[in-house]
Amino acid sequence: MKNYKLLIPIVAFLLVSIFLYKGLYSDPTNIENANLAKPFPQFQLADLMDENKLYTKQDLLGEYTLINVWGTWCVTCRVELPFMTQLRQQGIKIVGVYYDNAAEAAFGELDVRNTRKDVTQMLAQLGNPFQFNIYDEKRDLSLDLGVTGAPESFLIDDKGTIIAHRRGAIDHRVWQNEFAPLFPSASGSQQSLEQN
Amino acid sequence: MLPEIGHFSLLISFVFAICLAIFPMIGAQKKIVEFVALAKPLVYANFALLSVAFFCLSWAFYHNDFSVTYVAMNSNSDLPWYYRLSAVWGAHEGSLLLWVWILSLWTAGVAFFSASLDDEDVARVLAVMGFIAIGFLAFVIFTSNPFERTFPLYPIDGRDLNPLLQDIGLIIHPPMLYMGYVGFSVAFAFAVAALIGGKLDATWARWSRPWTLSAWGFLTAGITLGSWWAYYELGWGGWWFWDPVENASFMPWIAGTALIHSLAVTEKRGAFKSWTVLLAISAFSLSLLGTFLVRSGILVSVHAFASDPTRGLFILIYLLAVIGGALTLYAWRADKVVSTHRYKLFSREVLLFINNVLLVAALIVVLLGTLLPLVHKEIGLGSISIGAPFFDKVSSIWFIPFILVLSIGPFVRWKQDRFSRIRNKLLVGIVPAIIVALTCYLTLQINTFFSLLGVVLATWLAALVIYELITSSKNNPLPLTHWGMSLGHLGFAALVIGIAITKVASVDKSVRISPGQSVTVENYVFNFTKVEQFQGPNYSAYHAHFDVSNGSDTFSLKAEKRYYKMHSNVMTEAGINAGLWRDIYISLGEQLDGKAWAVTANVKPFVRWIWLGGLLMVLGSIMCILDKRYRKVLAWREQKTAQPAASNTMAAENAVSKVASDTVIEQRIKFE
Repeated sequence: MKNYKLLIPIVAFLLVSIFLYKGLYSDPTNIENANLAKPFPQFQLADLMDENKLYTKQDLLGEYTLINVWGTWCVTCRVELPFMTQLRQQGIKIVGVYYDNAAEAAFGELDVRNTRKDVTQMLAQLGNPFQFNIYDEKRDLSLDLGVTGAPESFLIDDKGTIIAHRRGAIDHRVWQNEFAPLFPSASGSQQSLEQN
Repeated sequence: MLPEIGHFSLLISFVFAICLAIFPMIGAQKKIVEFVALAKPLVYANFALLSVAFFCLSWAFYHNDFSVTYVAMNSNSDLPWYYRLSAVWGAHEGSLLLWVWILSLWTAGVAFFSASLDDEDVARVLAVMGFIAIGFLAFVIFTSNPFERTFPLYPIDGRDLNPLLQDIGLIIHPPMLYMGYVGFSVAFAFAVAALIGGKLDATWARWSRPWTLSAWGFLTAGITLGSWWAYYELGWGGWWFWDPVENASFMPWIAGTALIHSLAVTEKRGAFKSWTVLLAISAFSLSLLGTFLVRSGILVSVHAFASDPTRGLFILIYLLAVIGGALTLYAWRADKVVSTHRYKLFSREVLLFINNVLLVAALIVVLLGTLLPLVHKEIGLGSISIGAPFFDKVSSIWFIPFILVLSIGPFVRWKQDRFSRIRNKLLVGIVPAIIVALTCYLTLQINTFFSLLGVVLATWLAALVIYELITSSKNNPLPLTHWGMSLGHLGFAALVIGIAITKVASVDKSVRISPGQSVTVENYVFNFTKVEQFQGPNYSAYHAHFDVSNGSDTFSLKAEKRYYKMHSNVMTEAGINAGLWRDIYISLGEQLDGKAWAVTANVKPFVRWIWLGGLLMVLGSIMCILDKRYRKVLAWREQKTAQPAASNTMAAENAVSKVASDTVIEQRIKFE
């Protein structure tokens, strides 16, 4: 074989195959997150229900907290609300970050009162897991968190470090596998959940 | 009983495929006439067996046999009969069965229409296609058996077909696409057989051309249908999303486009031989790669089928055998292929070479864009995502040199030409280009540089294509291939115009609106008249009615939101008023409080031109296949080799074009 150029296609193909092989065994939905093990970003945002009440990062510290990015427009969020309400009953602190999908759409002037009405109605219907909801009106916090959609959940420890990140709904299985083991008293919350 | 017969047919066909891959190949190499003679009977038997298997599965679907797991998972007794039949290829197992059936159809086609070729050559080609079939049959039988039963406990009713797939566009989109994908296996088999046999002459290229063109035509039709389906079914008003699975179908298309051009050079001038072989291998390899990407769940996509590493591993091993084998053979044997033809710097050969370079560059960009996120993650650099903005940007620059070369190409002579000879001809296109661009700028407010440039270049191209047709048909009637080529190029011009204008001039408005209210978009007043509840065969729906008017033009539109109870899935059916110059498009969003609905109203100028372009390309490929030059050349060969098969060959060409023209009729109905 004198002409080494002819080997280029087969070599390129074999290289690609190696990656295809490796790719087979990694979960495509589990996109790595650059935020993991980093501190939760600083913010100062109003309560969804009351624009005069402001929250900062300090309000999230002190205990393990689940931060859930959601919206009433998001169908999957609807699905996880009942389960997360159960979690709240187990004593887990859950804080919502409300992501308004309509902000850019031309619904005329964005009226937060309509949003509030929708939120109240939906939470009354499906259960309210949230201690409070942060209204991420300009989406700055979501941007800092690298949110790509809703729902997304972050678990932060008592010092405000992100220790888990989930894109997509949290259900019983996901909670048991990815979140529950991270709690200092992991066994306690696990058992009580299984009784449900 | 029937599912067992189907399963049994699959098993026998697997054994036959193994025989087909082995004996005729040995026969051709060792000159054993009996082995060579085995090839065609095995091919026909395989086709018959797989037709039986396919029929058995369709029967199970038609008669709601929910004791078959695959039927229970993908059908439902409420489903109308035509969706029950199309549900056969609605999920992984059945679509693979369709894949192998289509492969056996193409193989039988090659066997049937190759009477004038050397028996040994045909035996090699058929053996290669048999080798391809082994892998897919094994895949169906061992990992994805559609005939598996649910006994002893079987469900009363099935889980229903994915609602997204319950649509006329989706009934014919996958078969078209598969006809294209699998059709490239013919060119692949011809190339591999030529490498094995060491014969790479003009006959080889001439034989590959109609097969490649028909596969390319099917693939074009399939992609066009898919794009059109996404446009009206997904409710986003988009027509191409650069989704990994779309890319998976686009890559073989690009390779196929390059292949049909380089085959022309190989046939007519005897140049680019080794390159053409590589493209023929690539086009089918990319089809297989696409299958792998879709079926292994390796990439995240709206299209994703089953994600199952064992299935993925199976296809990967198969890819290594087929693609790896072919490319190794290429590395080993291709230096025997010498192109003796010489040409000068300014000649049609060189322009076609630039065409190929540009197409391959586009191919590599799409391939990298699709695979890079995967590679990036696997080598530990973290996740990245490459999406529409990247591809849009690259393709908006890429098309400039491509159109320039494409416009000039047909005017330039083979071997050697002077630019001064064609310079004045090229000026012909400038006047219409400027007029059209000015019109677009003034009436449609198209003001971005790339869009205007797109319109200018595409109009220039179209004008030159028409001018070339007129001047060259003056003296003597043009062959159909020439018309086909011109149609294909006009199709590309229409596509570029459609994209350039739609991208910039589309206006959409999302509003909260109640019946009785109206909204205005671009001179069109949308009156929301009423919402009705509607009960379909297997879904319930809201129909929102709109009266739309811009003064001179008044019509009503119905946008739909369907709820499929079996999948608890909500689907949007957009209300569309289609026109050559603009589409009016309404999609119904969520029901808000009280009577209000979220509604998106769109005015999309020239969006039809995108699919018109695809349609013209398909028509072009049909005209090329119909050309009698392939038959003439064959007849000449027959006299030479004294083989009595002229009528067969005629029938061959006719049958191929018959299939293809049926497609077009199908398409035309859809477009109106």
